[in-house]
Amino acid sequence: MNRDEIERRIHGVFEDAFEIEPERLTPEAKVFEDLGLDSLDIVDLIVALQKQFGVQIREDERVRAIRTLADIADFIETLMQEEDARRSGS
Amino acid sequence: MKKPSALVVGSGVSGLTAALLLAAHDYRVRLVEQSPRIGGALRRFRRGGVAFDTGFHFAGGLDDGGLLHRMLAALELADAVQPRFLAEDCSFRFVFESAGRAFDLPRGIAGWRETLARAFPKERSAVEGYFERVARVCANTPGMDLVSLGAPRRPLDEDYVTLARVLEDLTDDRLLRGVLCGLCMCHGVRPSEVSFATHSRVCYDLHRCAAQLEGGGDALIDAFAGRLRALNVEILRGRRLAACEGIEGDRVRRFVLDDGTALEADAAVLTIHPRAVLDLLPRAHLSRAFAQRVESFEDTAGFFTAYGVLRRPEPDPATAKTVVSLFPYEDFDRMMAPSAEDARALVLVSSVEPGANGPAQVVTAFEPAAEDHVAAWRESRIGRRPPGYADYKAARAESIRRRIEGYGDGYAGQFDLVESSSMLTFRDYLHSPGGSAYGIKQKPGQYNLIGRLPLKNVFVAGQSALLPGVAGAMMSAFFVVRPIVGRDRFDRFLRGGGTG
Repeated sequence: MNRDEIERRIHGVFEDAFEIEPERLTPEAKVFEDLGLDSLDIVDLIVALQKQFGVQIREDERVRAIRTLADIADFIETLMQEEDARRSGS
Repeated sequence: MKKPSALVVGSGVSGLTAALLLAAHDYRVRLVEQSPRIGGALRRFRRGGVAFDTGFHFAGGLDDGGLLHRMLAALELADAVQPRFLAEDCSFRFVFESAGRAFDLPRGIAGWRETLARAFPKERSAVEGYFERVARVCANTPGMDLVSLGAPRRPLDEDYVTLARVLEDLTDDRLLRGVLCGLCMCHGVRPSEVSFATHSRVCYDLHRCAAQLEGGGDALIDAFAGRLRALNVEILRGRRLAACEGIEGDRVRRFVLDDGTALEADAAVLTIHPRAVLDLLPRAHLSRAFAQRVESFEDTAGFFTAYGVLRRPEPDPATAKTVVSLFPYEDFDRMMAPSAEDARALVLVSSVEPGANGPAQVVTAFEPAAEDHVAAWRESRIGRRPPGYADYKAARAESIRRRIEGYGDGYAGQFDLVESSSMLTFRDYLHSPGGSAYGIKQKPGQYNLIGRLPLKNVFVAGQSALLPGVAGAMMSAFFVVRPIVGRDRFDRFLRGGGTG
């Protein structure tokens, strides 16, 4: 999955699951300040992203470091690379 | 200064615990219960003067130092209930019918390890590996000793892997895997679906030390009721929270009951099924992601239960000291599948109870059940079941009776069936959406509904929140009440330093 596809899907999650207008969804948009999510929404975001990308996301330091939509895309990209590495390694 | 107010919804063991904890921290507490009586699945019923337990049969951790005992002590209830510990040499007997093997599991982890290492000499390292990993999970889970409840909760690797996967990695011996799954009925989720961590947290104290309670679940209810009275908790029976209204700044101003009463509360703790929580909250204040998460939860297995009395010259207290499980196969995924027709696990629990004609040997026998089994009568309610339902219950109860009498041993004698219950019985008496035994399945990597909701004064606890079973349900209340009353104050309370 390329970067564009990852970003497109992340935007889809914010539109569908959090009902945020597409024009507000830019890579530099801040998840809390600009898009209005709060700390309680993070778990729901994780669950929605897990479902969308078929990856397992732990609520750990890497999730807590996320600020912008671009951060989410970086994070998902890394997770998917890790997943691929695990699959080809085992 | 005006006391802060709290509303607790649901009076199962988690609601009772939350109400007591809040009251102990000087909250003015109202407890709302939809049924005419409090206690939920702890409640017994009586036939011919003999009491039968419905949802509480035995528990781990009732010994000094056990989690359940610590929680009861913190609530000042430990002296009000009397544990009846299962037999030291054989707390659990697992009978694997097709393999023709039986295992007598003693009290204590060392005893389980020894017994299994003896029975499976080539699998010693698998046995050791299993118990070490269970112990490690519990050691790394904050709150299993109660005092560390506030430590940061970090997900463990075992939260992301199933019991089945761990066992496959440990051993190829199917019978040993079966024995290590033998307590799956205590969380109601098949090995291929339950996270190893959840399984471990449920089983650890059952391995250590399992007990019944003198007087069954009612003894626990009576103990709670006494403390609730002493702390002036107001109990509203036969009423249901119907709506959350007047929401301003993400705070609910009016909690409206089904009789129209509107209550204010600084905090409301809902100890009801997650789907019931979702139905209560105004959708405009929830994200679709929240609703989708809750809707994705699946219910655990339920039970079909046969209640009866063993007719014999004298009741035998020894029968009551061993929980007997009959397993047709080693494969728990098969035995706990909704489609398992003649291959269901059967758990036998006994106690000697006073009756009109002297002490009676009470037997409660339960098999896993699924909503599919009673789908044909789903629309019906207690007392108005269509024909066919009685036949279904009679046939299942009769098959259980035959299995009990066929097993013999401590259960030798004639089993007189007194009553039976299906998942619909549980659903309708407990007002739970599907009548499952342990709320929702706690699968690997799942995010349960626990603590504060998107509404600032509404919180969720209960056995679906943290961990299934009595101890898990109570622990969820400790966990959720802590931030409500103030973390430091609560931690002082846990250390026995009062609530000031």
